[in-house]
Amino acid sequence: MSNMLEINNLHAGIGETQILNGLDLTVNSGEIHAIMGPNGSGKSTLAQVIAGHADYRVSAGTVSYKGEDLLEYEPEERARRGIFLGFQYPVEIPGVNNAYLLKAALNAKRRHNGLAEIDAFEFLQLARKKMSDLGMDPVFLNRGVNEGFSGGEKKRNEILQMAMLEPELAILDETDSGLDIDALKAVAAGVNALRDPARAIVLVTHYQRLLDYVEPDFVHVLSDGKIARSGDKSLALELEEKGYEWIREAAAG
Amino acid sequence: MNTVVLNQALFEAAVATLPADQLAPVRNRAAVLFSNEGFPSTRDEDWKYTNMSAATTASNDWLSEYRTSATIDVNAQQNQATLQEISAQIDATWLIVRNGVVDSLQLQSLELQHGLTISTLADSLNLPDIAIDTALSAFNAALLEDGIHIRVDADLRIERPLGILLIDDPSLRTSQTRIVIDVGKNASLRVIEVARSAVDGNQFTNAVTQIDLAAGAQVDHLRLQDRGKEHIGTHRLIAEVQAEATFSHNAFDFGGALTRNDVIARIVGSGASVNLHGLYLGSGKQHIDNHTRVEHRVGPAVSKEIYRGILTGQARGVFNGQAIVFEGADGTDANQANHNLLLSDKAEIDTKPELEIYADDVKCSHGATVGQLDEKSLFYLRTRGLDVAEANHLLTRAFAAEILSSLVVEEAHEYVQKLLDARLAELLGDDST
Repeated sequence: MSNMLEINNLHAGIGETQILNGLDLTVNSGEIHAIMGPNGSGKSTLAQVIAGHADYRVSAGTVSYKGEDLLEYEPEERARRGIFLGFQYPVEIPGVNNAYLLKAALNAKRRHNGLAEIDAFEFLQLARKKMSDLGMDPVFLNRGVNEGFSGGEKKRNEILQMAMLEPELAILDETDSGLDIDALKAVAAGVNALRDPARAIVLVTHYQRLLDYVEPDFVHVLSDGKIARSGDKSLALELEEKGYEWIREAAAG
Repeated sequence: MNTVVLNQALFEAAVATLPADQLAPVRNRAAVLFSNEGFPSTRDEDWKYTNMSAATTASNDWLSEYRTSATIDVNAQQNQATLQEISAQIDATWLIVRNGVVDSLQLQSLELQHGLTISTLADSLNLPDIAIDTALSAFNAALLEDGIHIRVDADLRIERPLGILLIDDPSLRTSQTRIVIDVGKNASLRVIEVARSAVDGNQFTNAVTQIDLAAGAQVDHLRLQDRGKEHIGTHRLIAEVQAEATFSHNAFDFGGALTRNDVIARIVGSGASVNLHGLYLGSGKQHIDNHTRVEHRVGPAVSKEIYRGILTGQARGVFNGQAIVFEGADGTDANQANHNLLLSDKAEIDTKPELEIYADDVKCSHGATVGQLDEKSLFYLRTRGLDVAEANHLLTRAFAAEILSSLVVEEAHEYVQKLLDARLAELLGDDST
């Protein structure tokens, strides 16, 4: 088990608004962490900062990934080094073929790792296999990226990308929101399939629901831009019962 | 403002040298009309942004040595090579037209489907109406050596696309091309016009394509302009669409220094359908002006128009889309859109939709947008490991994809995609600001 992600005293915001106020978090390989918290507590900001969105400005603190300063790298460099962000709102890109993007993403990573580009046949077989695991119709391969996809289809597509790219650190930003029970199970199965001693997964979620299917090693509650409480999976159940107000009161008290 | 005028004496002398064939009366009529109007000036509302001074200068040079310069065969071998290159990539029956004159030996060697007739205009057994509705189309008709007449008999479906390779050679400073296509009742034809320059050079080509669709006819027309970087080109397309006929036009403008396209689609029968799709790419100091006019003279009928432009460097685009619904043309459904992507600070587009509606029961819409690449999409692609250049290319290609996907002449799809990709790569590498 080694240190995958180490965040110390992170302060970050967008424009004039400060959102993260001294966040600390350590994630080791092999672990699944759930980050919960009410709307506006900074969950998505944390995900965007790790992925490298230029609109979010880090004013203090450090983020290291496998011992290196992550904030030095451009978003594409982070992706190639093994970080994957599953978007809360995946973007629709009409005219860019889903298969084309999958292949380009995979090859960008392979080139970074000094590997040859994947051949067309091998790619197709791999994509079809992963889609069938996720219960996705192969026709989605030839559609525009997320173009006209339902909410559930978009989230499955994110999980498909993750499954193809096999990241070392996956951050899933509210991947469970707006899913019906079948889609939720498919997404959970996709996450569980990726569970590996060499990988770490961070689930950002508002509800406990996903955690019925993906068992986290740690649960953290974010409040006002920092971690207010950490625990094991029982913390999620406690939250479900008592609501987020309980954490806020405890933090204030 | 235009400072150059055409030399009238040279013009008249040139017209007088043309043969006394069946085109002569048309030429003379056109010469009078042109003499009254002269080249369009930027004072004309329709030509506000597009200056024809350089075209006028080229025309004066041409007229000063009219019919003394031997040009037709200068690049004959190279033209054959171009023909081979294109015909290997687009399966079609190919005609070759050099500086507006069809290669008659090659034409005679073609095996055409029965009911498809191709001749020169001077030799045509049914001389069609030669449109002289503007100064430039009159200039074209007045100085027309010859033109091409293509006819399809009624009820006939021409399977193989007809390709017309238009090669212009800048050793002739100006050329006039006229193609007239008549498609009979319930017949169908697919036409591919590919406009190229033999070599790069400063030349003005003034072309007119007329297409008449009889009732129930179907014509898919592709025009791919891939001229040299110094080329000045004007093209006027006039389509007359009868009842239940379907006309689809796809225009791709990749080359040229100054390009002006006029598209006139005239719906004269009910149940007709018109589709116009255009894509223009500009870099450096390229100037591309598209003026389109859809005339709904009767209804019900449907027209759909989408033009997209991608401009970088100091390129300038002009789009003017007119839709006119005549009195009584009820049941008209017309929609139009023009979307532009500006990849540099100095690229510019002037876009203007114009709707004129004189009927009551109509459905019309139009929209124009000007913008840059979507930041959210760009970030999404980068989080998947694509670098900025690759993501830019992908999103720009996606912007063009809608027009490419509307290309109905399947045989040309791959070729156009290939040219488009090469041109986009050039555009995205252009930092001439």
